[in-house]
Amino acid sequence: MDAKNNIKNNRESASKDRQKAKDVRLSNISASKAVADAVRTSLGPRGLDKMVQEEAGDVLISNDGATILSKMRVEHPAAKMLVDLSKAQDIEAGDGTTTVVVIAGSLLSACLTLLGKGIHPSLISDAFQYAVEKAEEILDKAAQPVDVNDRTAVIQAAATALSSKVVSQHATLLAPIAVDAVTRIANLEEPDAIDLRNIRVIKKLGGTLDDTELFEGLVLNQHVNKSAGGVTKVAGAKVALIQFCLSAPKTDIENNIIVQDYSAMDRVLREERQYILNLCKKIKNTGCNVLLIQKSILRDATSDLSLHYLAKMKIMVVQDVEREEIEFIAKSLHCVPIAGIDSFVPEKLAKVDLVEEVSVGSEKMVKMSGIQGKHKTVSIIARGSNKLMLDEAERSLHDAFCVVRSLFRRRFLIAGGGAAETEVAVGLNKIAKTLEGAAAFCVRAFADALEVIPYTLAENAGLPSIEIVTELRNRHVQGDKNAGINVKKGNISNMVEENVVMPLLVTVSALRLATECVRMILKIDDIVMTR
Amino acid sequence: MQVPRYQGPAPHVLKRDTSEEKGEEARMSSFIGALALCDLVKTTLGPKGMDKILQSASGDIIVTNDGATILKSVSIDNAAAKILVDISKTQDDEIGDGTTSVCCLAGELLREAEKLLDAKIHPQLVVSGYRIAANAAQKALQEAAMDHGANFEQLKQDLFYIAKTTLSSKLLAQSRDHFAKMAVEAVLRLKGSTNLDHIQFIKKTGGNLSDSYLDEGFILEKTLGVGQPKRVENAKILIANTPMDTDKIKVYGARVRVDSYNKVAEIEEAEQKKMLEKCQKILNHGINCFVNRQLIYNRPEQFFTDHGIMAIEHADFDGVERLALVTGGEVVSTFDHPELVKLGHCGLIEESMIGEDRVIRFSNCAAKEACTIVLRGANKQILDEAERSLHDALCVLSQTVNHSKVVYGGGSAEMLMAKAVDEVAKTIPGKQSLAVEGFARALRAIPTIVADNAGFDATELISEMRAAHQKGEKEAGIDIQNGILGNMAKLHVLESFKLKSYMVSSATEAAEMIIRVDDIIKAAPRRREE
Repeated sequence: MDAKNNIKNNRESASKDRQKAKDVRLSNISASKAVADAVRTSLGPRGLDKMVQEEAGDVLISNDGATILSKMRVEHPAAKMLVDLSKAQDIEAGDGTTTVVVIAGSLLSACLTLLGKGIHPSLISDAFQYAVEKAEEILDKAAQPVDVNDRTAVIQAAATALSSKVVSQHATLLAPIAVDAVTRIANLEEPDAIDLRNIRVIKKLGGTLDDTELFEGLVLNQHVNKSAGGVTKVAGAKVALIQFCLSAPKTDIENNIIVQDYSAMDRVLREERQYILNLCKKIKNTGCNVLLIQKSILRDATSDLSLHYLAKMKIMVVQDVEREEIEFIAKSLHCVPIAGIDSFVPEKLAKVDLVEEVSVGSEKMVKMSGIQGKHKTVSIIARGSNKLMLDEAERSLHDAFCVVRSLFRRRFLIAGGGAAETEVAVGLNKIAKTLEGAAAFCVRAFADALEVIPYTLAENAGLPSIEIVTELRNRHVQGDKNAGINVKKGNISNMVEENVVMPLLVTVSALRLATECVRMILKIDDIVMTR
Repeated sequence: MQVPRYQGPAPHVLKRDTSEEKGEEARMSSFIGALALCDLVKTTLGPKGMDKILQSASGDIIVTNDGATILKSVSIDNAAAKILVDISKTQDDEIGDGTTSVCCLAGELLREAEKLLDAKIHPQLVVSGYRIAANAAQKALQEAAMDHGANFEQLKQDLFYIAKTTLSSKLLAQSRDHFAKMAVEAVLRLKGSTNLDHIQFIKKTGGNLSDSYLDEGFILEKTLGVGQPKRVENAKILIANTPMDTDKIKVYGARVRVDSYNKVAEIEEAEQKKMLEKCQKILNHGINCFVNRQLIYNRPEQFFTDHGIMAIEHADFDGVERLALVTGGEVVSTFDHPELVKLGHCGLIEESMIGEDRVIRFSNCAAKEACTIVLRGANKQILDEAERSLHDALCVLSQTVNHSKVVYGGGSAEMLMAKAVDEVAKTIPGKQSLAVEGFARALRAIPTIVADNAGFDATELISEMRAAHQKGEKEAGIDIQNGILGNMAKLHVLESFKLKSYMVSSATEAAEMIIRVDDIIKAAPRRREE
């Protein structure tokens, strides 16, 4: 009677269930910790970079936690949650993507110890929630308000974000660029509505990062079509953004032209020429001298004939503009896209002082400067000696934009260099002493777990981590809330004086998101395979 | 005289490969299946229940605490277990919450039945005992239920507490006040309807769960055409599903034959003219916003821009249907009779940002019921789970608005029923009374599991609770925060009466059905041709 035995087993399964739940939890925690450990060494200004080789063989070098994690092929379900966590931080604050994962990893280790002591997971989870709420209060107190119109203060925050990147030696150059770019597109009345898509980073190989510049106006990645010897520089330009094609007519329904004899063929050719010439003349008549043509998949955007005529009329042609770019260009130039030749009227043209094609290294781009009206968009031309560098520069710039944006959203700065985390750890430890029961234990563990940030910062910088962290803690207990690790000098100093500051939002969001994720992992007691 | 006997091999009555389990064996196998399933979801029960990761073959993961979701996703090859999945599904459809409880109760009833069957009590006797018990339980529940439906303020308060109770077992527990308020507000907008289509969920990664909010109106995750007004007041909306490139002749291989380019150009022009005529017809409806399910191409877009109309293209199927619902319009695809078309109306359309994304918000819609819940959270799993939890709460609340009876939660309702059932058992002569007692034990098992999951000394707590109920303290239940006996009225732990009543009846039915099984015949699996 196998069945009967089975039932007996079933009765004993209650205790087995517990065992299983424990195993699942441990496996989840260790998988997540493995992910956290993978990015731990890239934390901080002296953190090291990771080289990621993708399946196709592409290589990527990055210091950005979110980027590294998103490229890692993580299989374990709990580990995947950590990858998502870093993505969420990227969306929310843009920076601190490594920090959030490292904190989550450290909190999970703390959970291991607590679980080992026999504390129930939901108790730990609740205590952590309590701790993170208190941590926010502590951070609010430690933060200092900042005037977003104070350019230098904002630049410092951006510089801190950049200091841990591959491009750190160029932080002094890139930080002001980032700040200026965001300031230009931001509406201080509506800080939530800052759309970073209004900033366009154009990457061009060649030169060094030093040549990176913020361009007043619009930069197009496309080049001028010169196949018929067209012009490449137009002063006092009138730009039209068109969404129709300058080639032989084509109907949506299939068409055949039936040619019966030689003279008919001649006529057909003539007609085509006449048709295109007509189009070009109409364009010329409006005074337009620069044409931006949207790419079409149905037919050729231009033909040899039309290019030839346009070149003769001294109209500059830039083609292959993507449909997604239209909105950006229209916004930058203050013009309306034109969808048909009938609606091609002078009012729809944008006036630009100078449009010219410039070559950077081996590549070309089109610069438009002196656009009339207020700038709603910004273009940044990034230069770099190799593709990896450029990509990383773009990511770092994006981080810096996000930092500036989060500063606009919540106008508080907090000391960096591990100062914020240590301050929270010290504060929470104090609070833990006022609590009773297991919660006190959990809050203390939470506080200690946060010290992973200064610890890792010191470790990555090759400093004696234990000495540094204990001294740091000591300074904070004495009330020096801005004391942090000066990685460059290898000692403890006042971070605000050293200008190592970051937006409050970054730290708060990192703490909140990490805790949320840890609590979720903690609550899982089973992995069920489904269809 | 001897009866002649058949000597040969047993004849095949059933088709080959068909398996059959009989009597004791069949019962065992269905019990094992059902109990295994019950054990699977058991740990998710209650405010301190744990979550499960559901990992599909393709590697997608869901983290959930919702019994129905778990049971729906596991693949099962056991007839009895499938019955449990089904009752949990029905509970989900009917009430929306209590999906784990119903499965656990059925499981516990089976566990008790198993003991009774072992003691050689006939299954039919067990079944009839369960029926008596279920009736007694329902009656006790009915008596204990409170109805505040007449007083709106009181009802609102009740709804809030029910939402809190429902949410406390979910991921949203940390900010449950916030979410409970949201759920109540959303449900009250529905004005008694149980159709939750008016409530839309938008999930955006980033931010924190507590950053989620309820937004009046409807949100469409699309962008506006270039250069069109970003804000339209008193919008008259035409919702359409129509191609905007060309109205093609739907004959395969249709083509035109011409003999010159000029004629091609003419046809092209004619095609475009036709489209502009269509746009003009659309314009004749006197609208200032046009939403199309299909793409709007450059030319029509420009036409609309020139006439100051907001044109939104490629709104997905769901979006269009819902938009039609909330703005009171209808989806049209011909435009010849503007007078017959019902346009959608809303007070304000504007572009706004959620996190990184731009969306279009329709506020002050014709259908006042409409609202959108924007969920923010650290990752996709959290968001999905938040949506499921909130959906559960909304279901329960929308049911409660109509059936406003409530009972106390925290295990007190179960203890109350168990007490009543026990009382009945004493009055019944015969073996049935054993089954009735078993039913009471099964009811008591529910708070036991809840306490167990929270890591408390369940046996101690339950016996305390039983004593309290015996003394007539009907509000006694588990204070889950402190792990002690608490007064549910003071802690405001309320649950919907309908939920509890439904749970008891469907769990009993399911258990009954499984107990009565004495033969399982599995059809031969269909052979695949190699």
